[in-house]
Amino acid sequence: MKITVPDPKFIAAALLIVALGACKKEDDPAPTPPATNESELITTLVLTFTDPELNESFELRFRDLDGDGGNAPVVTTEPLPGGRAFNLGVRVLDESGSSPVELTNEILAEANEHQFFYAVEGADLAVSYADQDGNGRPLGLLNLAISGAASAGSLKVTLRHGPDKEAMGVSDGDITNAGGDTDIEVTFPLVLE
Amino acid sequence: MAFHKVLPAALAALFLYLSGASVHAQPAPCGLVISGTVTDEHDRTALSYAEVFLPELLKGAVTDELGRFRIEGLCPGTYVLRVSHLGCESIVRKVDLKQDLALDLRLEHHSQELRELEVIRDRPDENVGMALTEVTKADLEKRAGGGLVDMIEGIPGVSILRSGPTIAKPIIHGLSGNRVLTLNQGIRQEDQQWGTDHAPNLDPFSSDQVTVVKGAASVQYGADAMGGVVITEPIRLPREAGLGGEFRSVGMLNGRGGGVAGMLHGAVRGVKGLGWRVQGSGRQLGDSRAPDYLLSNTGLREAAGSASIGLQRYWGSASVYYSWFGREMGVLRAAHIGNLTDLDNAINSGIPWYTAPFGYAIAPPRQVAQHHLLKSEVAYRISERDQLVLTYGFQNDDRQEYDVRRGGRSGIPSLDLFLNTHTADAVLKHWIGPHVHGKVGVNGLYQENSNIPGTGIRPLIPDYSKRTGGVFILEHVPFGDRVELEAGARLEGTALSVRRFDSEDVYTTPEHRFLNHALSIGANWTVRDSIGIRANISSAFRPPHVSELYSQGLHHGSAAIEEGDDALDSERSLKATVDLHASWFGGRLTTDITLFHDRISDFIYLRPTGLRLTIRGAFPVFTYVATDVRMHGLDASAQLRFTERWAFRSQFSIVRSRDQLADEWLFLTPSDRLRNSIVFKAPALGQWRQVEAALSSSVVFAQSRFPVGLDFIDPPPTYHLLGCSISMERPLGHNALRFGITGDNLLDAAYRDYLDRFRYFADARGVDLALWVRYSFGHAR
Repeated sequence: MKITVPDPKFIAAALLIVALGACKKEDDPAPTPPATNESELITTLVLTFTDPELNESFELRFRDLDGDGGNAPVVTTEPLPGGRAFNLGVRVLDESGSSPVELTNEILAEANEHQFFYAVEGADLAVSYADQDGNGRPLGLLNLAISGAASAGSLKVTLRHGPDKEAMGVSDGDITNAGGDTDIEVTFPLVLE
Repeated sequence: MAFHKVLPAALAALFLYLSGASVHAQPAPCGLVISGTVTDEHDRTALSYAEVFLPELLKGAVTDELGRFRIEGLCPGTYVLRVSHLGCESIVRKVDLKQDLALDLRLEHHSQELRELEVIRDRPDENVGMALTEVTKADLEKRAGGGLVDMIEGIPGVSILRSGPTIAKPIIHGLSGNRVLTLNQGIRQEDQQWGTDHAPNLDPFSSDQVTVVKGAASVQYGADAMGGVVITEPIRLPREAGLGGEFRSVGMLNGRGGGVAGMLHGAVRGVKGLGWRVQGSGRQLGDSRAPDYLLSNTGLREAAGSASIGLQRYWGSASVYYSWFGREMGVLRAAHIGNLTDLDNAINSGIPWYTAPFGYAIAPPRQVAQHHLLKSEVAYRISERDQLVLTYGFQNDDRQEYDVRRGGRSGIPSLDLFLNTHTADAVLKHWIGPHVHGKVGVNGLYQENSNIPGTGIRPLIPDYSKRTGGVFILEHVPFGDRVELEAGARLEGTALSVRRFDSEDVYTTPEHRFLNHALSIGANWTVRDSIGIRANISSAFRPPHVSELYSQGLHHGSAAIEEGDDALDSERSLKATVDLHASWFGGRLTTDITLFHDRISDFIYLRPTGLRLTIRGAFPVFTYVATDVRMHGLDASAQLRFTERWAFRSQFSIVRSRDQLADEWLFLTPSDRLRNSIVFKAPALGQWRQVEAALSSSVVFAQSRFPVGLDFIDPPPTYHLLGCSISMERPLGHNALRFGITGDNLLDAAYRDYLDRFRYFADARGVDLALWVRYSFGHAR
């Protein structure tokens, strides 16, 4: 069988054209990519202490509008009156866009996989869970907070994703054995009057 | 599992059985030698590079420049001897071996035919003066079941940067990532290698030989080749009609998985020099196991295939190669953490916070990657001696990383990158006068990186396009028979156009230009037949990667905010290596020592620059900064053959690297390591051929030289691992069945490695045992 060999110069030329063709692309102006819409950003955590009897409420707020980088977060607090029983409600928001997005519902929808933890240091405040997930374990969006004598300290709020709620102490609000990864960890200065 | 306890004993028993067999079952000595010469039938000139082969033993030799050959370690018997040479008719002869045999073999030599068939070397040219190690098929095979990086781990001076059991990247002489170049089939691999948790997207079954160059090789290969180059050698296509192939299979205990691979190659009858090859493989592993717990979500699925066809003629050659590689793998679930508190908890508890029953399912966090490579190459013989080689390569790398996310978004990738790379090279291989030869060439690269929108997370690295153009020259000058000198130079420019949104969502398109040069000079000096010295001094460069210029944001695995610096300039290195290879006492003892010294200016690394408060708590901020680094080190290996069959091997390597500006040790430098093995080798043992067994002990010392305050914990302590491998072959007519067992961490030691980024979260893999089989058939050559 006789095979005709293609002219090697032709092959070389063809390859060069392919190579140059590839380079030609450079001239096309690259299209502007769309800006990324951060879909999971939490900018704001709001704790609302409501006294149902006196219909009075107090707010602690952590707000970092531009996310992880840029400007430092702003923390606003107000003193809580001592000797009261509060309903403590939590809201989680994304306020980076033009209108705030309520993220509390996302956590509620995945209640089994989330849990808030409250750690008080120094101040005389006791927090206990007042809600449950689908398995009858606490979630921590609704709580009961009882304030005691005038004191000052801090309140650390942690939201864990994927904790082991059956581990020892976790359902009582002890974070030690919870595991999971942290979505929120904010410490508020706390003053009881 | 009791099995794990029984295993070492069983292996020891097998080992003893094999060694015992060598003493009792073989009364006849297997130390016979066939030697002789191969000459041209017509003019009686010596034929060098003729292959003398015993197909039944798969043993052979290649003639030297005087046409001499020598095959040792043969048992008495009757064998078929095949002699072949480019452009000659092969001859086959039966030899009856009772005592040492000297043969004068003559081949019918057609010089015209020779020129027609002699092709350019398929593999990249040797790097004169640089220390290099070739990992042959037999050694690659023993690591079957692992990835490419696991296969080169045994080389002195090579260590591995890991992120859990599945993700591995090579470290050569203390440098990794963008400072190590991977050449796949001669094309520079571009697969987002900047990420410390991005393993090379390469099929471990696609190559029969891997070469690791431990030197700065920017002149030859361009940017990034600072620490060294990992080369998966292209496979030579058959030229003589016939069909052949092999089938491989491997099963692994740890991870309860395995892999299969098949290859078929042949040459087309009637079309001289037209060869082809197709190959495919697959691999699957479930969760790996550490001695005390499962490493949950560390499963892996891989599939790959390649096809190539090539024509080799007098005028030159032409070939096309295409390969596809796909991988999905889990990332240790317990290594996904939210903030510093989580990291502290992980470190303090000492066990992973998440374990689940064994499974093959891969859940977030996970990575999915696909890599396509198309390569076409034409070599054209311009004159009797000179050749023009044109190569074009196209690569597409598609990578998605999935994180554990809220609101049902775990199915949406957190990172979705699409990278296209075109490379084009033109190289003129030429001769100047009778001795000087070398190559001049131009290289071009065009690369486009895009973030696929829809991740809902600010991209870790921005979109960019990169253009690189380089010219180089590399000339070999031999002085007599014993000294070969090589000198070379390269000039390379890189233009980087970035398209990004800054933290205020303002669109910017910064441009960067880098112009670099590299020089190299090296020599190979054969002092005596038994002593050789290779020495090389070369410079190398690396323009900063876009991740070092523009990273911004939180890195989940490391609980750190990483920020780029767009004012960074190219890294430049000057590296000197000296390699001394010697054999003593008639070859009973061989030693190899490599010394290196490396100075890198503007070395880019991450340095903590503060703390930042976020809604997840306070995070350390790491910024890419440049410093000057000095590194030096030593790789030493020795082999002592006690008897024909037993040998002792030892290898040792150290690396020291120091940050000159901060006056402290460099982070993540491999610690000293020592490996000793006892090796048993027999060409034949009863019905078995090429029997090999080895028992090895590796000690990795604790790293005592580390920067204070840069890491969350101190480096883990010294550990010791015991490994073994056994392999043997059964000839089946023209075909052969080879199988082997490889064991790692036989004592099931619980340990953590300094170079494993997941050492904060879990121990490394426990005992592992791989059983592999290869069946080779046919006779395509």
